[in-house]
Amino acid sequence: MERKKSPVLSSILSLIIPGLGQVYAGSPSRGAAFFTAVAITALLVHWQGNGPLYTGVVVAWLWNVWDAYNLARERRISPALPFLVIALTLYIIGWRVTEINLRRLLTDVADVKPLVSNLFHPAVFERDIEKLVGEVQFESPCSDSPPPKGTPLEDEPYLVFVDKTCGDPGDTFTIEGGNFWPSSKGYIWWSNLAGEMQFRVRYKGNYLTFETDEEGRIPPITVVVQEPFAEAKGKGPQLYRVQARMQREVGSPHLSRTFFLVVEKMIVTIFLALMATTIAIFIAIPISFLAARNLMGGNPISMAIYYIVRTILNIMRSIEPLIMAIIFVVWVGLGPFAGVLALAVHSIAALGKLYSEAVESIDPGPIEAITATGANRLQTIVYAVIPQIVPPYLAFTIYRWDINVRMSTIIGFVGGGGIGYLLQQWIRLLMYKEAGAAVWAIAIVVAIMDYASAKVREIII
Amino acid sequence: MLRIEHLTKIYADGTLALDDVSFEVPDGEFLVVLGLSGAGKSTLLRCINRLIEPTAGRIIWDGTDITAASGEELRQIRRHIGMIFQEFNLVERTSVLTNVLTGRLGYVNPWLSIFHHFPKGEVDRALRNLDRVGIADLAHKRADELSGGQRQRVGIARALMQEPRLMLADEPVASLDPVLAHSILRYLEQLNQEDGITVICSLHFLDLVRRYASHVVGLKNGRVVFQGLPEEITDQRFKEIYGEEAERVTVT
Repeated sequence: MERKKSPVLSSILSLIIPGLGQVYAGSPSRGAAFFTAVAITALLVHWQGNGPLYTGVVVAWLWNVWDAYNLARERRISPALPFLVIALTLYIIGWRVTEINLRRLLTDVADVKPLVSNLFHPAVFERDIEKLVGEVQFESPCSDSPPPKGTPLEDEPYLVFVDKTCGDPGDTFTIEGGNFWPSSKGYIWWSNLAGEMQFRVRYKGNYLTFETDEEGRIPPITVVVQEPFAEAKGKGPQLYRVQARMQREVGSPHLSRTFFLVVEKMIVTIFLALMATTIAIFIAIPISFLAARNLMGGNPISMAIYYIVRTILNIMRSIEPLIMAIIFVVWVGLGPFAGVLALAVHSIAALGKLYSEAVESIDPGPIEAITATGANRLQTIVYAVIPQIVPPYLAFTIYRWDINVRMSTIIGFVGGGGIGYLLQQWIRLLMYKEAGAAVWAIAIVVAIMDYASAKVREIII
Repeated sequence: MLRIEHLTKIYADGTLALDDVSFEVPDGEFLVVLGLSGAGKSTLLRCINRLIEPTAGRIIWDGTDITAASGEELRQIRRHIGMIFQEFNLVERTSVLTNVLTGRLGYVNPWLSIFHHFPKGEVDRALRNLDRVGIADLAHKRADELSGGQRQRVGIARALMQEPRLMLADEPVASLDPVLAHSILRYLEQLNQEDGITVICSLHFLDLVRRYASHVVGLKNGRVVFQGLPEEITDQRFKEIYGEEAERVTVT
């Protein structure tokens, strides 16, 4: 006969510590579950410091008292209610900590439009650019002999001063010109005499533009005298070039420089994956034999090696290649070599495991049959073991190469070289059309690799 | 003459598979080993060519102690013992011809064979043996494209490459359609009668035993419970081998 449990004592125990009453009533696992659920929820709510959320904890706690009371009377009641309350509380916390903001998702959709549009207009084609420049020299501040006003040229684009040819920063002067393309727009540029310091002139915040008439003449434009460049400060009167520049696209579209750069880096990326995979193959094959239970079983020493190798492989596989890449970038510097090493290390672990499983699943029958013919050990391996492991080894290797091509684009983001590195730079420089070209290249190559590797695996298995 | 003396096999897990088994097989015999699954038939056959190492006892074949043979000697002995298997044990994904040629590995130059090179004469021999089991047209098919009956014939052709004087057949028809069983066993019978190859074959069905065996050894729980001619197996004897609840199953 079992001793009767007191429902009241059970309730009080659960009121003090959730789950204790359940333990008393003879259901320790139920008690542990209640304690864990209530304790974790209470800690999370406390961490969030949100008053109303305590309701969930209180409900679960009180229900747990009720449950302890019933358990002592040998009645099990369904824990659906506290389960739902705790789940709801956890999801509310989850919603808050991940900062989910659906309104922003809808209202700020316009922000992403230019980016997406640029991604869909990758910089694959471009046209040649033709430029037209006319200039005069301005002096600031004025010296005793200011420069001439300039003279209109016969055939070439030119600029001349209308009023003055020198002045202090902040003054204004007027220029006009001719022999530019008719009815076209252009910008005014300011540079030092050597030409290595230059910028587009602004007027009231906007770039200063002009538009030519039908005969290619630039109407008079007012320009503000710019502040001197840093190295010219306090050096007295300096000459500056004032230029009117126009440019237009000519000829038919052709493949862009970006395109060739993307192709080049894509090739680097594929090779990066190839080298990483190949290095991994050579190391993973011997390791795979050490990690195959059917080869290593038998004596305790080989079993110990088996467990050690398996453990190392599992640890290696659990480290993300991205983290490996960061380590190798520090070690061997930015560039594809770091990427090769990171992917190789990860691939050794992955292939080692897959290969060893292929070895474990070979059929011992053919080995038996060939041994029975009087063949020696090497012949047995060549005729009975290798034919069985080559197809899976090949399939896993091609699959791995495919994965490595995909991963190497991500590896590039942390400095592992290849197309990812380029993509990451373009994104940071807001060059979305170029980034678009890279994204498309990655998508196309990955899709082709994916399809090809699936086909090849289909054939050899 | 093959003589088995006090053969005992205890596996690493303690299972007693063969318990003091002794019998003789005169040359040219078609000996059938009869018994339930787990009676020790496969272990017995595998001890003869030492795919399994016996725990105790001796196996003497024409005056040579197989159980005492070391590496190279053992390979020389194995060359003359063909073996076919219940699951055929062909190398899948490899051509039928290559599978048959592997039967010759004990004879050819081991270094050349590693590069899959076989002399022309051996290839001709393989084709002749395939022709003998009636599947010469399948030589260039992959083994895994074949049906069960065809596979077992490849298995026989492979064993024939060894020019065996003794043929071990471990449940050669247990994975086959009953109709195909006769066609495979007829090949073994032909080898036995025309080429004078001694056959040791394990079987399940009494009808097949009566039809093909010249001599029978019955095994039960690793012990010999019957030795004699096939016609001596009465229903009473049959029950001794197979247990009381056994009923005879007929194969057409």
